[in-house]
Amino acid sequence: MSDEPKNPVAARGLIWTGVVIAYAVVMLFPIFWMAAMMVMPNDAMFARPTVWLFVPTLEHFDYVLNLGFSWNLLTSFVLCTVSTALVILIGTPAAYAFARFEMKLKDDLFLFILATRMAPPVCLVIPFYLIFAKLGLLDTFAGLTLAYMTFNLSFYVWVLRSFCRDLPVELEEAAELEGWSRIQIFRRVVFPLLRNGIVATAVLCFIFAWNEFLFAFMLGGETVQTLPVSIPKLITSQGVRWGEMAVVGIAALVPVLVAVFLLQRHIVRGLTLGAVKG
Amino acid sequence: MTNVGEAVPLSVSAAQPSARERIWYPYLLIAPSMLTLTVVSLIPFLYTVYLSVHAAKFGRVTDFVGADNYITLLTDARFWNSVGTAVIFVAIAVPIEFMLGLVGALILNQNVRGRSILIPLLFMPTMMAPIVVGLLWKIMLAGSWGLISYNVLERFHLIGQTSIFASSDLALYALIFVDIWQWTPFMMLAFFAGLQALPLGPYRAAAVDGANSVQVFFNITLPMLMPLLVVIGLLRFIDAFKVFDTVYILTGGGPGIATETPSILANKMTFEFWNIGEASALAVLVWIAFFAFCNVFYQIAKKRLNAF
Amino acid sequence: MKRGLYSAPAVVAVSLSLLAGSAASAEDSFYATAAAPYKGTTIRVLDEITPLQETLSKIVPEFEKETGIKVEWELLNHFEVINKGQADMLSGRGYYDAVMLHGFQVGPMLSAGAIKPIDDMVKDSKLNNPKLDTADFIPGPYKSLAFANGKQLGFINWNYNQVYWARADLLNNQEEQAAFKAKYGYDLAPAKTIEQMRDIAEFFTRKKGEKLAGKPLESDFYGIVLEGIKGGSTFGTLWRDFIKNYGGDIMDAEGHPTFDRPENIEALKMWAALWKFAPPGIAEYSLVDVPTVMGKGIAAQTLAWSDFVLGVDKPGVSPYAGQFVYAPIPVKAGVTTPRSAEAEPSITIITAGSKHPEATFLFLEWLVDKKQQEKLIELGQGGVPVRETSWAVPAIKSSSNPTLYAAMKSTLDVGTAKPRMPKFYEIYDQLSGIAQEVGLGKLSPEEGAKKGQAEMLKLCDKCLL
Repeated sequence: MSDEPKNPVAARGLIWTGVVIAYAVVMLFPIFWMAAMMVMPNDAMFARPTVWLFVPTLEHFDYVLNLGFSWNLLTSFVLCTVSTALVILIGTPAAYAFARFEMKLKDDLFLFILATRMAPPVCLVIPFYLIFAKLGLLDTFAGLTLAYMTFNLSFYVWVLRSFCRDLPVELEEAAELEGWSRIQIFRRVVFPLLRNGIVATAVLCFIFAWNEFLFAFMLGGETVQTLPVSIPKLITSQGVRWGEMAVVGIAALVPVLVAVFLLQRHIVRGLTLGAVKG
Repeated sequence: MTNVGEAVPLSVSAAQPSARERIWYPYLLIAPSMLTLTVVSLIPFLYTVYLSVHAAKFGRVTDFVGADNYITLLTDARFWNSVGTAVIFVAIAVPIEFMLGLVGALILNQNVRGRSILIPLLFMPTMMAPIVVGLLWKIMLAGSWGLISYNVLERFHLIGQTSIFASSDLALYALIFVDIWQWTPFMMLAFFAGLQALPLGPYRAAAVDGANSVQVFFNITLPMLMPLLVVIGLLRFIDAFKVFDTVYILTGGGPGIATETPSILANKMTFEFWNIGEASALAVLVWIAFFAFCNVFYQIAKKRLNAF
Repeated sequence: MKRGLYSAPAVVAVSLSLLAGSAASAEDSFYATAAAPYKGTTIRVLDEITPLQETLSKIVPEFEKETGIKVEWELLNHFEVINKGQADMLSGRGYYDAVMLHGFQVGPMLSAGAIKPIDDMVKDSKLNNPKLDTADFIPGPYKSLAFANGKQLGFINWNYNQVYWARADLLNNQEEQAAFKAKYGYDLAPAKTIEQMRDIAEFFTRKKGEKLAGKPLESDFYGIVLEGIKGGSTFGTLWRDFIKNYGGDIMDAEGHPTFDRPENIEALKMWAALWKFAPPGIAEYSLVDVPTVMGKGIAAQTLAWSDFVLGVDKPGVSPYAGQFVYAPIPVKAGVTTPRSAEAEPSITIITAGSKHPEATFLFLEWLVDKKQQEKLIELGQGGVPVRETSWAVPAIKSSSNPTLYAAMKSTLDVGTAKPRMPKFYEIYDQLSGIAQEVGLGKLSPEEGAKKGQAEMLKLCDKCLL
């Protein structure tokens, strides 16, 4: 076909891009403001009338680093990576099984998985605390990893199952007829198709774990101190240390931002429906 | 128990999995998950149920009180107020997030440039810790000194002699807004991933048939995306009901109890009154309500929407 | 241990070591000797983060140098030191050997049996420093907090107190003084009575564009700011700065609720009146927000916690640093009952689950020793004293902020811990809700009093421990 049909599609693409950018600017303004607060001096903050131009300062970064914040960052990273990896390992087969096979009591089992997520965490935290205290799991990586499984595993299985539903069964059956082993089928047929879903869902699980506060605070301690737990330390008697809080908030954001940026190619197929049409 | 015995080279035509094996294989796959969740969730939950039928002030279990804690809760106006608040919150916030997320995902699926940068950026509100989100919006909307409060609301006298979080109605709407701001990107990304994972075959066929966008959306996209839409919608619905961090930071359940959700009330019962028995009863009640709801929802979604 | 004292050689040994101790520097050597059996232990202490404790954390390592007992000193913010501290104490886990409790926490924690009294150790001459001079502790807070049911719970550690805080630059401005005198008939000065506080609040509440101290205002200005959030210390302020100064109280001497007294209603009327001169966000403000608002120059007066003042009235933090004046909590003219002022003495107690009570006791003793208290105040260039002799320490005596310390002393002279109520939190939750509703005008003072009384009666008929 000639060049003609492409132009309307391309033009429409530009319009959509514009819409998205406008939305982004408006919605993300508060975050940009918080980023500015990282280097705003204290007397300019919340000055009335608002001070838009100021001389940047690095004192907030100093304070935060002195607090040992880099250790919190590392702790969060290790905890979330390990717990997410476990969730992927344990949850993927389950999601696949629920989508593909017939089982007795399948619906009940599936609902059981979700049930673990239904009670408000605030109510569960003290029972958890009491149990962990007896088992000596308080302030341990193992303890907190286990606690995170509660909500992340159920989330993962439920969401991944819907991705699994789109898998072409015929391919699997053909491979089976060929005599491929289960593991081979999974590795070479199922996994490549499921990769999108796994990555997207795992990213979401990672984010939930990364930002989780209540369990990390109550069940953690000196040894296991995640990033979110360091934030209330900035609510002091001099009021909230907003500049430092901005630093921690943005610094907590950056690793996740980078991770999503790098992993998105597994989510985005690279093709758009627009390109398929016409 | 593994299939090592069947790891034969492709070229050799080996025996197919036996019929018996076909039956227990799926159970094997789900076993690790079931086991983990039983240990990690079921046991603490059973302990919670145990606590709920005892007087457990200060975390010390004393007498068995049967249904007393439940009766106290169910006859407490404050409990029903919290449920009502959460229902309103969820009923407004989640559908809006859902629509905006879906529309956003569909737009992103079009020929949008710079997606690799835009997607992570757009996703930032969901990536931020809920505590930080709460503090961020406090910076924006706090009475008198909030950035938006001062520059927009007070300058144009939009809300009179009060502040957002000191007014019962405005506070709840502000919280709903913050929730939408925070979770729409979540829906967007999930739906976008779903759209990207859809097989192209049906679309090619539709293009050949000359179907227009609306027909394509309703006859191809929507049905194929339905499982994901249903699951994400349900999960978000449950999570929104349990909202805590942002409400705690922004209003603490106030003014008065105007924005007190079940989680906030439970927090008070646990960490202020140390009435662990009652807090546990609250957890169980919420759980029962959800379990019933999800069961019904699941059956409907399975039959009508083919989502499961 | 006690049996050993009765044997003659032990008595001789102890006396000799005491003598030897007093030959050298008195207190130092006492702690070193007393700690000898516990050398090498590690104890964990949980305390609240304020400028005071930040200074204290610089002194704490010296204890280890003196005694060989290592102290792990953990600081958390106000709301968390309560949550985490209580969780640890109530679960019996005993991770913390000592936990800081605000006065109001003592009632609930005592009834839960989570505190280890120190009477045994005070009587033990091997542990008790004879030169501790407990008579020097500021009496009101100490006596009301550290003793319960005939047992001693600890030593007083933090004497949080409220003071009246106002903008000196505005009060001293000649134009404003002339206008005030013309309107109200008396001289403009830091409020001595609650009525004066009200007048000053009314006088200084101005809209954007009007003049303040000669300059046109760029945004609305308010005559007073108070804590108004449901929770926090809002009700404490209402109760002990207002209600009690009006001659009322929330319960009688036996603990029966009396929230609907006429005096209380008068106080509530004044409370509601003051809210009209406060920033619109008052119902969101917590004890942390109020000093921030004052520091930003949004209001002319406040009643606030003095330890926050130390962190806000500093160059680089507030643009108005140095322009503040402090004064005693205003009283009600014509009332004959004793003056009242809100204070929150706090105590670091030894947890019932602690495995090293003796070592912990020595540490707590060492902390309130005159030597450490002086160091604390010198290092912090001020502080909140627990001892009477601390008022004479140079950093306070010749402080650049003399009105602050005079105000603190005035509050601590009458300040006491809150009465011990097992249902403190539930009562507080209800009454602070009413404080907010009356302030906002949602309830009239009469309705508020009635509702408060009904809520209290639902919770307890005899509310004192």
